Amino acid sequence: MNEIALELKDVKKTISNKEIIKGLNFQIKPGEVYGFIGPNGAGKTTTIRMMVGLMNLTEGDVKILGKSIQSEYKEAARNIGAIVENPELYSFMTGWQNLMHFARMYEGITKERIREVVSLVGLDNVINDKVKKYSLGMRQRLGVAQAILHKPAVLILDEPTNGLDPAGIREIRDYIRRLAEEDQVAVVISSHLLSEIELMCDRIGIIKHGEIISERYVNEESDQDDAQSDVKVIFDVGQADEAIKVLEDRDIEVKRESDKLVTEINRQEIPNIVQTMVNQNISVFGVTPIKATLEDQFLELTGGNVIE
Amino acid sequence: MSKFLKLLYNELHKLYIRKSTWVMYIILAAIVIGGAVLMTIFDDNTVESEYSENWRAELQAENDEIEQSLQENNNEFMIDMNMSNVEKNNYHLDNDIKPLNYGGWQYTYENAGLSMLIGLFVIIVGAGIVASEFNWGTIKLLLIRPISRSMILFTKFAAVLTFALITLVFLFLLNLAVGGIFFGLEGANPHIVIQKADGFVHASLFGEIMTSYGYDMVNLVMLTALAFMISTIFRNSSLAIGIGIFLLMGGNIVVQALSQYDFSKYILFANTNLKQYETGNVFMEGMTLGFSVTVLIVYFVLFMVLSWAFFTKRDVAGQ
Ligand SMILES: Nc1ncnc2c1ncn2[C@@H]1O[C@H](COP(=O)(O)OP(=O)(O)OP(=O)(O)O)[C@@H](O)[C@H]1O
Ligand SMILES: [Mg+2]
Repeated sequence: MNEIALELKDVKKTISNKEIIKGLNFQIKPGEVYGFIGPNGAGKTTTIRMMVGLMNLTEGDVKILGKSIQSEYKEAARNIGAIVENPELYSFMTGWQNLMHFARMYEGITKERIREVVSLVGLDNVINDKVKKYSLGMRQRLGVAQAILHKPAVLILDEPTNGLDPAGIREIRDYIRRLAEEDQVAVVISSHLLSEIELMCDRIGIIKHGEIISERYVNEESDQDDAQSDVKVIFDVGQADEAIKVLEDRDIEVKRESDKLVTEINRQEIPNIVQTMVNQNISVFGVTPIKATLEDQFLELTGGNVIE
Repeated sequence: MSKFLKLLYNELHKLYIRKSTWVMYIILAAIVIGGAVLMTIFDDNTVESEYSENWRAELQAENDEIEQSLQENNNEFMIDMNMSNVEKNNYHLDNDIKPLNYGGWQYTYENAGLSMLIGLFVIIVGAGIVASEFNWGTIKLLLIRPISRSMILFTKFAAVLTFALITLVFLFLLNLAVGGIFFGLEGANPHIVIQKADGFVHASLFGEIMTSYGYDMVNLVMLTALAFMISTIFRNSSLAIGIGIFLLMGGNIVVQALSQYDFSKYILFANTNLKQYETGNVFMEGMTLGFSVTVLIVYFVLFMVLSWAFFTKRDVAGQ
């Protein structure tokens, strides 16, 4: 078994003298879900097009289970399933005919397998309707179905939740997690919906101007980094002035917002501070650590959705 | 099924599932059936001129009648036409061949020129088969499979040729059936007297029909390759259809206009009509069948290589 499902090695893309992708490096293990986020025009779709062989690489290489998309295209492509941008399927054919069409491009996909995939994406009732009658969400599901028909080792989805209703998003999320956990599929998902990414992914790479500017594990903060890094903590107390004194004695900067005190401290310090306050008869109504959401971090890192 | 056949099936499936393709067949059927209806109503001469056991005397009478009318009329065109009728009748008499009564085979033979219309349809299909995938956005889903782009392109071209062949067979069988129903059939493999470069011959109608289709197929394949190339390079089917139709209709006019220049013999359309070597009516002195076939092959290879180079090398980016 290959330890690395998908690998990008110093991938660069220059289109008409403009360097759009400036050297991407990452590796994804089987069973890992990788979120690929960034503002409009950051280069997500361009990167995905290179990963699936739709675009040539200016420099670098993409490897699927160790096979280069450039020099061993067929072997690499056999293990990729993808949706690139909108799931554009043949509108004049039924969902079933579309899936049969793509199934014929592989060896050994049975009708049972197609039926199984149709149920998985919940299209049983409309699979014999023409795709032109489908809603965006239904087309998105069909797009996912064609991507997983041949049980790829690497699944690449460019904004798969676009156009889905909350229930649909939840379903996609569930079966992406299931594919990753049960079938050890490596999944790359690009999206603007950061909260979605957070719930679906094991690891997230933030891309801006064709570069990965930050990469982290989703559960990083709560599991490991908490011990070291400061978090925002809000103290709701009865005697604000005395409480400020307690905090300032410990060299903690305090911002006062009416009765609430906003601080940035290490989570480890909280019990100690609370004990001190209680000892001094300060009424503590609440202590709330505010975990910065990924969205805040995303906006902070990318400087908002400014297209340059 | 082999991989190639599965891909070919895919392409034909996408083609024949669309109504626009069926419209082409309906147009062909309307023309063939309509032609037979019109002929039944208006052209009693051809349809009902039946020769009896006594055909020798009947032919002789026809000849006498023609010569009589010629003495009253000196229009040169009329003379030419009628004289060839007389010669044809004489050929029948000299060789003791009974003239064939009119029927489905001759109707099919007369309608062989409809392959020009098939040429039009094939250009439309050839122009759309690659460009449409780009327009629909489905090209992305097509080119991420474990199949080389060369193979995809090859099966698409093969699908267009298959469409051309199916349509030609359809045209043939439809003509024969409609002609047979309206005028009866002349038998399993009837022969007919027709004029060739070196005089009259007694030839198999089936052979003549196939030869005619064959010559038209050459033109058809070349135009298809051209439309296919234009659509692959520019990803624009309308442009390819426009140029294809213009050349289908006007290609000959263009080369005629340029015929005083020596280079014009290298133009595609000076060579697509291979029938010129059979009739002896050659476009330019010194051209031979071998020359034309070579020119055609060079063009064909050029069209294919250009299509291939653009299709396989280029980035598939958003529209
Ligand atoms: N064919 C092309 N020619 C020139 N520039 C291009 C081309 N395709 C994309 N770009 C540029 O590359 C950059 C990245 O585009 P890309 O579509 O990869 O962004 P994205 O991250 O997918 O954005 P979005 O969130 O809007 O989907 C953009 O600045 C875009 O203008
Ligand atoms: Mg994009």
